[in-house]
Amino acid sequence: MSGQQTICGIDLGSRSVKIALMEEKAEGEELEIIRLESLDTIRFYREYGRKQGDKLAVDFTALGLPEVDRLVSTGYGRNTLELAGGEAIPELKAHVWGAIFQTGLQDFTLVDLGGQDSKIIQVQKGRMIDFLTNDKCAASSGRYLENMATILDLSLDELGEYTEAPVELNSTCAVFGESELIGKIVEGFPLPELAAGVNTTIVRRILPLLRSFRGEVIVFTGGVAHNQAVAKLLEEGSGRRIVIPPEPQYNGAIGCCVYATR
Amino acid sequence: MSKIGLTTTVPVEVIYAAGHTPVDLNNIFITGSEAMKRLEEAELAGYPRNVCGWIKGLYSTALQNPDIRQIVAVTQGDCSNTHALMETWEVEGIEIIPFAFPYDRDPDMLRLQMDKLISVLGTTWQDVNEQKKRLDQVRSLAGEIDRLTWEENRVSGFENHLYLVSCSDFNGNPEGFGHEMEEFIQVARMREPLSASSPGAVKGKKREIRLGYIGVPPIFPELYDYLEDHGARVVFNEVQRQFAMPFNTPDIVEQYRLYTYPYKVFLRIEDIAREAERRQLDGIIHYTQSFCYRQIEDQIIRKKLDYPILTLEGENPTGLDARNKMRLESFLSMIED
Repeated sequence: MSGQQTICGIDLGSRSVKIALMEEKAEGEELEIIRLESLDTIRFYREYGRKQGDKLAVDFTALGLPEVDRLVSTGYGRNTLELAGGEAIPELKAHVWGAIFQTGLQDFTLVDLGGQDSKIIQVQKGRMIDFLTNDKCAASSGRYLENMATILDLSLDELGEYTEAPVELNSTCAVFGESELIGKIVEGFPLPELAAGVNTTIVRRILPLLRSFRGEVIVFTGGVAHNQAVAKLLEEGSGRRIVIPPEPQYNGAIGCCVYATR
Repeated sequence: MSKIGLTTTVPVEVIYAAGHTPVDLNNIFITGSEAMKRLEEAELAGYPRNVCGWIKGLYSTALQNPDIRQIVAVTQGDCSNTHALMETWEVEGIEIIPFAFPYDRDPDMLRLQMDKLISVLGTTWQDVNEQKKRLDQVRSLAGEIDRLTWEENRVSGFENHLYLVSCSDFNGNPEGFGHEMEEFIQVARMREPLSASSPGAVKGKKREIRLGYIGVPPIFPELYDYLEDHGARVVFNEVQRQFAMPFNTPDIVEQYRLYTYPYKVFLRIEDIAREAERRQLDGIIHYTQSFCYRQIEDQIIRKKLDYPILTLEGENPTGLDARNKMRLESFLSMIED
Protein backbone atom coordinates (compact mmCIF):
# COMPACT_ATOMS: atom_id res chain seq x y z
CA MET A 1 0.00 0.00 0.00
CA SER A 2 1.29 3.48 -0.73
CA GLY A 3 0.24 7.01 -0.02
CA GLN A 4 -2.23 8.30 2.47
CA GLN A 5 -4.48 6.09 4.57
CA THR A 6 -7.11 6.75 7.18
CA ILE A 7 -7.36 4.35 10.07
CA CYS A 8 -10.12 3.91 12.60
CA GLY A 9 -9.30 2.36 15.96
CA ILE A 10 -12.14 1.34 18.25
CA ASP A 11 -11.77 0.41 21.89
CA LEU A 12 -14.95 -1.33 23.05
CA GLY A 13 -14.83 -0.56 26.74
CA SER A 14 -17.20 -1.63 29.47
CA ARG A 15 -18.47 1.91 30.11
CA SER A 16 -17.69 3.73 26.90
CA VAL A 17 -16.63 3.04 23.35
CA LYS A 18 -13.62 5.08 22.31
CA ILE A 19 -13.00 5.84 18.66
CA ALA A 20 -9.78 7.24 17.24
CA LEU A 21 -9.49 8.40 13.66
CA MET A 22 -5.90 8.69 12.54
CA GLU A 23 -4.16 9.46 9.33
CA GLU A 24 -0.91 8.27 7.83
CA LYS A 25 0.08 10.87 5.23
CA ALA A 26 2.56 8.62 3.52
CA GLU A 27 3.83 5.16 4.25
CA GLY A 28 6.27 5.13 7.13
CA GLU A 29 5.33 8.62 8.28
CA GLU A 30 4.15 9.37 11.80
CA LEU A 31 0.44 8.93 12.43
CA GLU A 32 -1.68 11.98 13.11
CA ILE A 33 -4.81 12.10 15.21
CA ILE A 34 -7.73 13.57 13.27
CA ARG A 35 -10.57 12.92 15.62
CA LEU A 36 -11.33 11.30 18.95
CA GLU A 37 -14.81 10.30 19.98
CA SER A 38 -16.28 8.65 23.06
CA LEU A 39 -19.74 7.12 23.26
CA ASP A 40 -21.66 5.41 26.01
CA THR A 41 -21.26 1.65 25.47
CA ILE A 42 -24.94 0.79 25.71
CA ARG A 43 -25.86 3.60 23.36
CA PHE A 44 -23.18 2.53 20.89
CA TYR A 45 -24.49 -1.01 20.68
CA ARG A 46 -28.14 0.01 20.67
CA GLU A 47 -28.02 2.85 18.16
CA TYR A 48 -25.12 2.13 15.89
CA GLY A 49 -24.57 -1.62 16.08
CA ARG A 50 -26.33 -4.47 14.36
CA LYS A 51 -25.56 -8.14 14.65
CA GLN A 52 -24.46 -9.62 11.35
CA GLY A 53 -23.91 -13.35 11.75
CA ASP A 54 -21.54 -13.57 14.68
CA LYS A 55 -20.07 -10.16 13.98
CA LEU A 56 -21.08 -6.63 14.82
CA ALA A 57 -21.79 -4.31 11.94
CA VAL A 58 -21.40 -0.65 12.86
CA ASP A 59 -23.25 2.12 11.08
CA PHE A 60 -20.33 4.50 10.52
CA THR A 61 -22.36 6.96 8.50
CA ALA A 62 -24.81 7.40 11.36
CA LEU A 63 -21.82 7.91 13.65
CA GLY A 64 -20.69 10.69 11.36
CA LEU A 65 -17.43 8.99 10.51
CA PRO A 66 -15.88 9.05 7.04
CA GLU A 67 -14.90 6.02 4.99
CA VAL A 68 -11.71 4.53 6.36
CA ASP A 69 -9.02 2.35 4.84
CA ARG A 70 -8.48 0.21 7.91
CA LEU A 71 -10.63 -0.67 10.89
CA VAL A 72 -9.05 -2.21 13.97
CA SER A 73 -10.89 -2.90 17.20
CA THR A 74 -10.07 -4.10 20.67
CA GLY A 75 -11.57 -4.14 24.11
CA TYR A 76 -13.83 -5.96 26.43
CA GLY A 77 -16.46 -6.54 23.75
CA ARG A 78 -13.90 -8.17 21.54
CA ASN A 79 -14.48 -11.73 22.65
CA THR A 80 -18.21 -11.48 22.46
CA LEU A 81 -18.45 -9.58 19.21
CA GLU A 82 -16.01 -8.92 16.46
CA LEU A 83 -16.50 -5.86 14.29
CA ALA A 84 -17.53 -6.68 10.73
CA GLY A 85 -15.05 -5.51 8.14
CA GLY A 86 -12.38 -5.01 10.74
CA GLU A 87 -9.60 -6.75 12.50
CA ALA A 88 -9.59 -7.41 16.24
CA ILE A 89 -6.44 -7.32 18.32
CA PRO A 90 -5.76 -8.31 21.95
CA GLU A 91 -6.61 -5.51 24.34
CA LEU A 92 -3.38 -5.39 26.29
CA LYS A 93 -1.38 -5.23 23.07
CA ALA A 94 -3.41 -2.26 21.89
CA HIS A 95 -2.74 -0.46 25.15
CA VAL A 96 0.99 -1.12 24.96
CA TRP A 97 1.21 0.26 21.43
CA GLY A 98 -0.92 3.25 22.33
CA ALA A 99 1.33 4.06 25.26
CA ILE A 100 4.54 3.70 23.27
CA PHE A 101 3.11 5.94 20.54
CA GLN A 102 1.88 8.57 22.96
CA THR A 103 4.90 8.75 25.24
CA GLY A 104 7.80 7.67 23.06
CA LEU A 105 8.95 5.47 25.96
CA GLN A 106 10.12 1.88 25.56
CA ASP A 107 10.51 0.81 29.19
CA PHE A 108 7.69 1.47 31.63
CA THR A 109 4.90 0.05 33.73
CA LEU A 110 1.54 0.80 32.21
CA VAL A 111 -1.27 1.36 34.71
CA ASP A 112 -4.61 1.54 32.95
CA LEU A 113 -7.61 2.24 35.14
CA GLY A 114 -10.80 2.11 33.10
CA GLY A 115 -14.51 1.93 33.74
CA GLN A 116 -14.42 -1.54 35.29
CA ASP A 117 -10.99 -2.89 34.49
CA SER A 118 -7.63 -2.25 36.04
CA LYS A 119 -4.61 -3.39 34.07
CA ILE A 120 -0.96 -3.30 34.91
CA ILE A 121 1.48 -4.15 32.13
CA GLN A 122 5.25 -4.27 32.28
CA VAL A 123 6.83 -3.08 29.04
CA GLN A 124 10.50 -3.68 28.37
CA LYS A 125 12.21 -2.57 25.17
CA GLY A 126 8.79 -1.93 23.67
CA ARG A 127 7.45 -5.40 24.46
CA MET A 128 4.95 -6.62 27.00
CA ILE A 129 6.72 -8.97 29.40
CA ASP A 130 4.21 -9.35 32.23
CA PHE A 131 0.75 -8.20 33.16
CA LEU A 132 -1.95 -8.33 35.78
CA THR A 133 -5.65 -7.50 35.53
CA ASN A 134 -8.34 -7.17 38.15
CA ASP A 135 -11.01 -9.76 38.60
CA LYS A 136 -14.14 -10.28 40.66
CA CYS A 137 -14.05 -6.73 41.94
CA ALA A 138 -14.20 -3.37 40.23
CA ALA A 139 -13.70 -1.29 43.35
CA SER A 140 -10.59 0.37 41.96
CA SER A 141 -12.18 1.50 38.74
CA GLY A 142 -13.66 4.55 37.13
CA ARG A 143 -17.16 3.39 37.93
CA TYR A 144 -16.33 3.60 41.62
CA LEU A 145 -15.14 7.18 41.19
CA GLU A 146 -18.27 8.09 39.24
CA ASN A 147 -20.54 6.72 41.94
CA MET A 148 -18.65 8.40 44.73
CA ALA A 149 -18.58 11.74 42.88
CA THR A 150 -22.36 11.53 42.50
CA ILE A 151 -22.81 10.97 46.22
CA LEU A 152 -20.54 13.93 47.00
CA ASP A 153 -22.30 15.99 44.33
CA LEU A 154 -18.98 16.76 42.64
CA SER A 155 -17.92 16.58 39.03
CA LEU A 156 -15.14 14.06 38.30
CA ASP A 157 -12.71 16.94 37.78
CA GLU A 158 -13.64 18.48 41.13
CA LEU A 159 -13.24 15.13 42.86
CA GLY A 160 -9.73 14.95 41.44
CA GLU A 161 -8.62 18.09 43.28
CA TYR A 162 -8.36 16.58 46.75
CA THR A 163 -5.54 14.60 48.30
CA GLU A 164 -5.12 16.05 51.81
CA ALA A 165 -6.30 14.49 55.08
CA PRO A 166 -8.27 11.63 53.54
CA VAL A 167 -11.03 10.01 55.59
CA GLU A 168 -10.56 6.30 56.19
CA LEU A 169 -12.72 4.22 53.85
CA ASN A 170 -12.26 0.50 54.40
CA SER A 171 -14.99 -1.25 52.52
CA THR A 172 -13.61 -3.68 49.94
CA CYS A 173 -16.79 -3.43 47.92
CA ALA A 174 -17.63 -0.49 45.63
CA VAL A 175 -21.30 -0.70 46.51
CA PHE A 176 -20.85 -0.97 50.28
CA GLY A 177 -18.30 1.81 49.86
CA GLU A 178 -21.17 4.12 49.01
CA SER A 179 -22.96 3.59 52.29
CA GLU A 180 -19.66 3.88 54.13
CA LEU A 181 -19.08 7.26 52.48
CA ILE A 182 -22.60 8.38 53.38
CA GLY A 183 -21.82 7.38 56.97
CA LYS A 184 -18.77 9.66 56.90
CA ILE A 185 -20.87 12.52 55.53
CA VAL A 186 -23.25 12.05 58.44
CA GLU A 187 -20.32 12.09 60.86
CA GLY A 188 -19.60 15.58 59.57
CA PHE A 189 -16.29 15.21 57.72
CA PRO A 190 -15.63 18.13 55.37
CA LEU A 191 -15.98 17.59 51.64
CA PRO A 192 -12.24 17.86 50.80
CA GLU A 193 -11.42 15.08 53.26
CA LEU A 194 -14.21 12.87 51.93
CA ALA A 195 -13.06 13.39 48.34
CA ALA A 196 -9.45 12.73 49.33
CA GLY A 197 -10.60 9.52 51.01
CA VAL A 198 -12.19 8.30 47.79
CA ASN A 199 -9.04 9.04 45.77
CA THR A 200 -6.83 7.37 48.37
CA THR A 201 -8.94 4.22 48.31
CA ILE A 202 -8.27 3.72 44.60
CA VAL A 203 -4.54 4.11 45.00
CA ARG A 204 -4.43 1.83 48.01
CA ARG A 205 -5.92 -0.96 45.91
CA ILE A 206 -3.50 -0.44 43.05
CA LEU A 207 -0.26 -0.24 45.02
CA PRO A 208 -0.14 -3.93 46.10
CA LEU A 209 -0.66 -4.95 42.47
CA LEU A 210 2.24 -2.74 41.42
CA ARG A 211 4.59 -4.31 43.93
CA SER A 212 5.86 -7.06 41.64
CA PHE A 213 6.34 -4.73 38.69
CA ARG A 214 9.73 -3.08 38.69
CA GLY A 215 10.63 0.04 36.77
CA GLU A 216 11.20 3.72 37.20
CA VAL A 217 8.31 5.07 35.20
CA ILE A 218 4.58 4.52 35.33
CA VAL A 219 2.54 5.44 32.29
CA PHE A 220 -0.92 6.13 33.64
CA THR A 221 -3.87 5.73 31.24
CA GLY A 222 -7.61 5.11 31.21
CA GLY A 223 -10.34 7.50 32.25
CA VAL A 224 -9.13 7.52 35.86
CA ALA A 225 -5.87 9.13 34.72
CA HIS A 226 -7.85 12.36 34.34
CA ASN A 227 -8.10 12.44 38.12
CA GLN A 228 -5.18 14.61 39.23
CA ALA A 229 -5.39 13.50 42.84
CA VAL A 230 -5.15 9.80 42.00
CA ALA A 231 -2.10 10.50 39.84
CA LYS A 232 -0.44 12.48 42.63
CA LEU A 233 -1.19 9.84 45.26
CA LEU A 234 0.00 7.10 42.93
CA GLU A 235 3.27 8.96 42.43
CA GLU A 236 3.76 9.45 46.16
CA GLY A 237 2.74 5.91 47.05
CA SER A 238 4.85 4.14 44.44
CA GLY A 239 7.83 6.48 44.56
CA ARG A 240 8.02 6.36 40.78
CA ARG A 241 7.67 8.98 38.09
CA ILE A 242 4.22 9.19 36.55
CA VAL A 243 3.72 10.00 32.89
CA ILE A 244 0.21 10.73 31.69
CA PRO A 245 -0.04 10.70 27.90
CA PRO A 246 -1.99 13.48 26.17
CA GLU A 247 -5.02 11.25 25.57
CA PRO A 248 -5.10 8.70 28.41
CA GLN A 249 -8.66 7.59 27.75
CA TYR A 250 -8.09 6.98 24.04
CA ASN A 251 -4.89 5.03 24.53
CA GLY A 252 -6.39 1.68 23.44
CA ALA A 253 -8.11 3.16 20.40
CA ILE A 254 -4.90 4.94 19.37
CA GLY A 255 -3.01 1.66 19.87
CA CYS A 256 -5.36 -0.01 17.38
CA CYS A 257 -4.43 2.57 14.75
CA VAL A 258 -0.74 2.12 15.51
CA TYR A 259 -1.14 -1.62 15.01
CA ALA A 260 -2.60 -1.05 11.55
CA THR A 261 0.55 0.70 10.38
CA ARG A 262 2.97 -1.92 11.65
CA MET B 1 -18.98 -53.59 48.89
CA SER B 2 -20.04 -49.95 48.99
CA LYS B 3 -19.15 -46.63 47.48
CA ILE B 4 -16.85 -44.40 49.50
CA GLY B 5 -16.60 -40.74 48.60
CA LEU B 6 -13.30 -38.80 48.50
CA THR B 7 -12.74 -35.05 48.84
CA THR B 8 -9.39 -35.33 47.07
CA THR B 9 -6.76 -37.97 46.35
CA VAL B 10 -6.12 -40.32 49.27
CA PRO B 11 -4.43 -43.74 49.35
CA VAL B 12 -7.18 -45.43 47.30
CA GLU B 13 -5.28 -48.72 47.55
CA VAL B 14 -6.74 -49.02 51.05
CA ILE B 15 -10.30 -48.54 49.83
CA TYR B 16 -9.88 -51.07 47.05
CA ALA B 17 -8.20 -53.51 49.46
CA ALA B 18 -11.21 -53.24 51.76
CA GLY B 19 -13.41 -54.24 48.84
CA HIS B 20 -15.07 -50.84 48.43
CA THR B 21 -15.34 -48.52 45.45
CA PRO B 22 -13.78 -45.06 45.75
CA VAL B 23 -15.68 -42.16 44.21
CA ASP B 24 -13.81 -38.88 43.78
CA LEU B 25 -16.63 -36.40 44.40
CA ASN B 26 -14.76 -33.73 42.41
CA ASN B 27 -15.01 -35.82 39.27
CA ILE B 28 -18.73 -36.51 39.48
CA PHE B 29 -19.44 -32.90 40.42
CA ILE B 30 -17.60 -31.37 37.49
CA THR B 31 -18.58 -33.93 34.85
CA GLY B 32 -22.24 -33.75 35.83
CA SER B 33 -24.49 -31.73 33.54
CA GLU B 34 -25.81 -29.64 36.42
CA ALA B 35 -22.60 -28.58 38.11
CA MET B 36 -23.74 -24.98 38.56
CA LYS B 37 -26.99 -26.20 40.09
CA ARG B 38 -25.01 -28.19 42.70
CA LEU B 39 -23.23 -25.01 43.63
CA GLU B 40 -26.44 -23.05 43.97
CA GLU B 41 -27.91 -25.79 46.16
CA ALA B 42 -25.00 -25.41 48.56
CA GLU B 43 -25.55 -21.65 48.70
CA LEU B 44 -29.23 -22.21 49.41
CA ALA B 45 -28.23 -24.56 52.22
CA GLY B 46 -26.21 -21.73 53.73
CA TYR B 47 -22.73 -21.88 52.20
CA PRO B 48 -21.40 -18.32 51.81
CA ARG B 49 -21.01 -16.89 48.34
CA ASN B 50 -17.33 -16.18 48.92
CA VAL B 51 -16.32 -19.80 49.43
CA CYS B 52 -14.57 -22.05 46.92
CA GLY B 53 -16.83 -23.46 44.22
CA TRP B 54 -15.35 -26.93 44.59
CA ILE B 55 -16.27 -27.14 48.27
CA LYS B 56 -19.85 -26.11 47.51
CA GLY B 57 -20.05 -28.48 44.56
CA LEU B 58 -18.73 -31.38 46.63
CA TYR B 59 -21.23 -30.70 49.39
CA SER B 60 -24.32 -31.02 47.19
CA THR B 61 -22.86 -33.75 45.00
CA ALA B 62 -22.51 -36.07 48.00
CA LEU B 63 -26.07 -35.33 49.11
CA GLN B 64 -27.33 -36.02 45.57
CA ASN B 65 -25.77 -39.49 45.68
CA PRO B 66 -27.45 -41.26 48.59
CA ASP B 67 -25.54 -44.48 47.91
CA ILE B 68 -22.45 -42.71 49.26
CA ARG B 69 -22.73 -43.20 53.03
CA GLN B 70 -19.06 -42.78 53.93
CA ILE B 71 -16.55 -40.15 52.86
CA VAL B 72 -12.80 -40.07 53.36
CA ALA B 73 -12.05 -36.39 53.89
CA VAL B 74 -8.58 -34.88 53.81
CA THR B 75 -8.15 -32.77 56.92
CA GLN B 76 -4.52 -31.84 56.36
CA GLY B 77 -2.91 -31.32 52.99
CA ASP B 78 -5.97 -29.63 51.58
CA CYS B 79 -7.85 -26.52 52.63
CA SER B 80 -9.46 -26.03 56.01
CA ASN B 81 -12.83 -25.42 54.35
CA THR B 82 -12.89 -29.21 54.20
CA HIS B 83 -13.35 -29.28 57.99
CA ALA B 84 -16.62 -27.37 57.80
CA LEU B 85 -17.60 -29.39 54.75
CA MET B 86 -17.14 -32.60 56.76
CA GLU B 87 -19.22 -31.21 59.57
CA THR B 88 -22.10 -30.16 57.32
CA TRP B 89 -22.10 -33.68 55.83
CA GLU B 90 -22.03 -35.23 59.27
CA VAL B 91 -25.16 -33.26 60.17
CA GLU B 92 -26.80 -34.89 57.15
CA GLY B 93 -25.90 -38.33 58.47
CA ILE B 94 -22.87 -39.15 56.32
CA GLU B 95 -20.04 -40.97 58.08
CA ILE B 96 -16.74 -39.12 57.82
CA ILE B 97 -13.35 -40.80 57.84
CA PRO B 98 -10.65 -38.17 58.30
CA PHE B 99 -7.27 -38.55 56.65
CA ALA B 100 -4.30 -36.23 57.25
CA PHE B 101 -1.21 -35.86 55.08
CA PRO B 102 1.49 -34.74 57.57
CA TYR B 103 2.71 -31.29 56.51
CA ASP B 104 6.36 -32.21 57.12
CA ARG B 105 6.03 -35.45 55.11
CA ASP B 106 7.10 -37.47 58.12
CA PRO B 107 7.02 -41.12 56.98
CA ASP B 108 6.03 -42.47 60.40
CA MET B 109 3.11 -40.07 60.70
CA LEU B 110 1.96 -40.90 57.19
CA ARG B 111 2.24 -44.63 57.90
CA LEU B 112 0.18 -44.13 61.03
CA GLN B 113 -2.52 -42.30 59.07
CA MET B 114 -2.65 -45.13 56.57
CA ASP B 115 -2.70 -47.62 59.45
CA LYS B 116 -5.77 -45.93 60.86
CA LEU B 117 -7.50 -45.92 57.49
CA ILE B 118 -6.67 -49.63 57.11
CA SER B 119 -8.17 -50.48 60.46
CA VAL B 120 -11.29 -48.30 60.00
CA LEU B 121 -12.01 -49.96 56.66
CA GLY B 122 -11.01 -53.38 57.93
CA THR B 123 -8.21 -54.49 55.64
CA THR B 124 -4.48 -55.34 55.93
CA TRP B 125 -1.15 -53.94 54.75
CA GLN B 126 -0.65 -57.06 52.69
CA ASP B 127 -3.87 -56.51 50.77
CA VAL B 128 -3.05 -52.83 50.37
CA ASN B 129 0.31 -53.70 48.82
CA GLU B 130 -1.41 -56.12 46.45
CA GLN B 131 -3.69 -53.29 45.39
CA LYS B 132 -0.71 -51.03 44.82
CA LYS B 133 0.66 -53.52 42.28
CA ARG B 134 -2.74 -53.68 40.60
CA LEU B 135 -3.15 -49.89 40.41
CA ASP B 136 0.44 -49.24 39.37
CA GLN B 137 -0.25 -51.16 36.17
CA VAL B 138 -3.11 -48.80 35.39
CA ARG B 139 -1.01 -45.78 36.41
CA SER B 140 1.69 -46.79 33.95
CA LEU B 141 -0.89 -46.43 31.16
CA ALA B 142 -1.66 -42.90 32.35
CA GLY B 143 2.09 -42.29 32.31
CA GLU B 144 2.22 -43.40 28.69
CA ILE B 145 -0.62 -41.00 27.79
CA ASP B 146 1.33 -38.24 29.47
CA ARG B 147 4.47 -39.12 27.51
CA LEU B 148 2.50 -39.18 24.26
CA THR B 149 1.32 -35.67 25.17
CA TRP B 150 4.64 -33.94 25.61
CA GLU B 151 7.14 -36.14 23.82
CA GLU B 152 5.21 -37.23 20.77
CA ASN B 153 2.63 -34.44 20.76
CA ARG B 154 -0.19 -36.82 19.90
CA VAL B 155 -2.51 -36.09 22.82
CA SER B 156 -4.48 -32.91 23.48
CA GLY B 157 -4.30 -30.97 26.73
CA PHE B 158 -7.85 -31.93 27.63
CA GLU B 159 -7.34 -35.63 26.98
CA ASN B 160 -4.23 -35.53 29.12
CA HIS B 161 -6.18 -33.75 31.87
CA LEU B 162 -9.09 -36.17 31.72
CA TYR B 163 -7.12 -39.43 31.90
CA LEU B 164 -4.68 -38.24 34.54
CA VAL B 165 -7.28 -36.62 36.76
CA SER B 166 -9.34 -39.82 36.67
CA CYS B 167 -6.50 -41.65 38.42
CA SER B 168 -7.70 -40.26 41.76
CA ASP B 169 -10.34 -43.03 41.86
CA PHE B 170 -9.75 -44.93 38.57
CA ASN B 171 -13.43 -44.29 37.85
CA GLY B 172 -14.20 -46.96 40.45
CA ASN B 173 -13.10 -49.68 38.04
CA PRO B 174 -9.32 -49.91 37.52
CA GLU B 175 -9.41 -52.67 34.90
CA GLY B 176 -12.22 -51.04 32.93
CA PHE B 177 -10.46 -47.69 33.06
CA GLY B 178 -7.16 -49.33 32.12
CA HIS B 179 -8.81 -50.93 29.12
CA GLU B 180 -10.23 -47.58 28.07
CA MET B 181 -6.77 -46.05 28.27
CA GLU B 182 -5.22 -48.89 26.25
CA GLU B 183 -7.72 -48.27 23.47
CA PHE B 184 -7.05 -44.54 23.60
CA ILE B 185 -3.29 -45.09 23.43
CA GLN B 186 -3.70 -47.20 20.30
CA VAL B 187 -5.71 -44.45 18.62
CA ALA B 188 -3.36 -41.69 19.77
CA ARG B 189 -0.27 -43.50 18.50
CA MET B 190 -1.73 -43.52 15.00
CA ARG B 191 -2.33 -39.77 15.01
CA GLU B 192 -0.29 -37.15 13.27
CA PRO B 193 1.50 -34.96 15.84
CA LEU B 194 -0.90 -32.22 16.96
CA SER B 195 1.88 -29.68 17.02
CA ALA B 196 1.93 -29.78 13.23
CA SER B 197 -1.81 -29.41 12.76
CA SER B 198 -2.70 -26.77 15.32
CA PRO B 199 -4.81 -23.84 14.07
CA GLY B 200 -1.91 -21.64 15.08
CA ALA B 201 0.36 -23.45 12.66
CA VAL B 202 -2.26 -23.18 9.97
CA LYS B 203 -2.64 -19.43 10.50
CA GLY B 204 1.02 -19.11 9.71
CA LYS B 205 2.09 -18.45 13.25
CA LYS B 206 5.54 -19.57 14.17
CA ARG B 207 4.89 -22.81 16.04
CA GLU B 208 2.66 -24.31 18.65
CA ILE B 209 3.07 -22.70 22.06
CA ARG B 210 3.81 -25.30 24.76
CA LEU B 211 2.16 -24.56 28.05
CA GLY B 212 2.21 -25.96 31.54
CA TYR B 213 -0.95 -25.90 33.62
CA ILE B 214 -0.29 -25.81 37.35
CA GLY B 215 -2.63 -25.69 40.32
CA VAL B 216 -5.85 -27.53 41.03
CA PRO B 217 -7.78 -28.84 38.01
CA PRO B 218 -9.79 -26.08 36.32
CA ILE B 219 -13.46 -25.52 37.09
CA PHE B 220 -13.78 -24.67 33.39
CA PRO B 221 -12.16 -27.51 31.39
CA GLU B 222 -13.15 -25.59 28.21
CA LEU B 223 -9.84 -23.84 28.80
CA TYR B 224 -7.91 -26.57 27.00
CA ASP B 225 -9.81 -26.36 23.74
CA TYR B 226 -9.75 -22.57 23.86
CA LEU B 227 -5.97 -22.64 24.07
CA GLU B 228 -5.70 -25.12 21.22
CA ASP B 229 -7.92 -22.92 19.05
CA HIS B 230 -5.39 -20.17 19.66
CA GLY B 231 -2.27 -22.08 18.72
CA ALA B 232 -1.18 -23.28 22.15
CA ARG B 233 -1.39 -26.66 23.88
CA VAL B 234 -1.04 -27.75 27.47
CA VAL B 235 1.67 -30.42 27.56
CA PHE B 236 1.97 -30.53 31.33
CA ASN B 237 -0.89 -30.80 33.80
CA GLU B 238 0.84 -30.57 37.13
CA VAL B 239 -1.67 -31.75 39.73
CA GLN B 240 -3.44 -34.15 37.40
CA ARG B 241 -0.08 -35.82 36.77
CA GLN B 242 0.45 -36.01 40.51
CA PHE B 243 -2.91 -37.78 40.82
CA ALA B 244 -1.53 -40.43 38.45
CA MET B 245 1.54 -40.85 40.74
CA PRO B 246 4.33 -41.44 38.24
CA PHE B 247 6.75 -42.44 40.99
CA ASN B 248 9.02 -45.38 40.69
CA THR B 249 8.84 -46.84 44.17
CA PRO B 250 7.68 -50.19 45.53
CA ASP B 251 6.91 -48.61 48.92
CA ILE B 252 3.38 -47.25 49.22
CA VAL B 253 4.20 -44.88 52.06
CA GLU B 254 7.02 -43.44 50.01
CA GLN B 255 4.64 -43.12 47.07
CA TYR B 256 2.33 -40.88 49.08
CA ARG B 257 5.33 -38.91 50.31
CA LEU B 258 6.50 -38.25 46.77
CA TYR B 259 3.02 -37.07 45.86
CA THR B 260 3.49 -33.29 46.00
CA TYR B 261 -0.03 -31.86 46.20
CA PRO B 262 -0.67 -31.98 49.98
CA TYR B 263 2.71 -30.72 51.12
CA LYS B 264 4.77 -27.52 51.00
CA VAL B 265 4.56 -25.47 47.84
CA PHE B 266 8.35 -25.78 47.46
CA LEU B 267 8.07 -29.48 46.74
CA ARG B 268 5.58 -28.69 44.01
CA ILE B 269 7.83 -26.00 42.59
CA GLU B 270 10.74 -28.46 42.32
CA ASP B 271 8.53 -30.87 40.45
CA ILE B 272 7.18 -28.12 38.17
CA ALA B 273 10.66 -26.78 37.37
CA ARG B 274 11.91 -30.26 36.50
CA GLU B 275 8.98 -31.03 34.22
CA ALA B 276 8.96 -27.57 32.63
CA GLU B 277 12.56 -28.08 31.60
CA ARG B 278 11.99 -31.61 30.34
CA ARG B 279 8.86 -30.66 28.39
CA GLN B 280 10.33 -27.42 27.05
CA LEU B 281 7.53 -25.16 28.14
CA ASP B 282 7.13 -21.67 26.73
CA GLY B 283 4.93 -20.50 29.57
CA ILE B 284 2.90 -21.55 32.58
CA ILE B 285 -0.70 -20.97 33.55
CA HIS B 286 -1.19 -20.95 37.30
CA TYR B 287 -4.83 -21.66 37.97
CA THR B 288 -6.26 -20.74 41.32
CA GLN B 289 -9.79 -21.10 42.52
CA SER B 290 -11.48 -17.92 43.76
CA PHE B 291 -11.22 -17.59 47.55
CA CYS B 292 -8.60 -20.38 47.75
CA TYR B 293 -5.64 -20.18 50.10
CA ARG B 294 -3.46 -21.26 47.20
CA GLN B 295 -3.90 -17.77 45.75
CA ILE B 296 -1.48 -16.65 48.45
CA GLU B 297 1.12 -19.10 47.15
CA ASP B 298 0.97 -17.49 43.72
CA GLN B 299 3.57 -14.93 44.79
CA ILE B 300 6.04 -17.70 45.71
CA ILE B 301 5.44 -19.52 42.46
CA ARG B 302 6.07 -16.32 40.50
CA LYS B 303 9.22 -15.67 42.43
CA LYS B 304 10.68 -19.16 42.08
CA LEU B 305 9.78 -20.13 38.54
CA ASP B 306 11.58 -18.38 35.75
CA TYR B 307 8.89 -18.66 33.09
CA PRO B 308 6.19 -16.32 31.82
CA ILE B 309 3.32 -17.03 34.21
CA LEU B 310 -0.34 -16.21 33.82
CA THR B 311 -2.40 -16.45 36.97
CA LEU B 312 -5.89 -17.46 36.03
CA GLU B 313 -8.76 -17.38 38.46
CA GLY B 314 -11.91 -19.46 38.18
CA GLU B 315 -15.00 -19.40 40.32
CA ASN B 316 -18.02 -21.17 38.86
CA PRO B 317 -18.48 -24.03 36.38
CA THR B 318 -20.02 -21.69 33.83
CA GLY B 319 -17.35 -21.77 31.16
CA LEU B 320 -14.57 -19.37 30.29
CA ASP B 321 -15.68 -15.76 30.66
CA ALA B 322 -14.71 -12.88 28.38
CA ARG B 323 -12.27 -11.50 30.94
CA ASN B 324 -10.30 -14.72 31.25
CA LYS B 325 -10.34 -15.15 27.47
CA MET B 326 -8.85 -11.68 27.18
CA ARG B 327 -6.14 -12.63 29.66
CA LEU B 328 -5.34 -15.88 27.86
CA GLU B 329 -5.12 -14.18 24.48
CA SER B 330 -2.85 -11.49 25.81
CA PHE B 331 -0.66 -14.08 27.48
CA LEU B 332 -0.30 -16.09 24.28
CA SER B 333 0.47 -13.02 22.22
CA MET B 334 3.04 -11.99 24.81
CA ILE B 335 4.79 -15.36 24.53
CA GLU B 336 4.62 -15.26 20.77
CA ASP B 337 6.31 -11.87 20.45
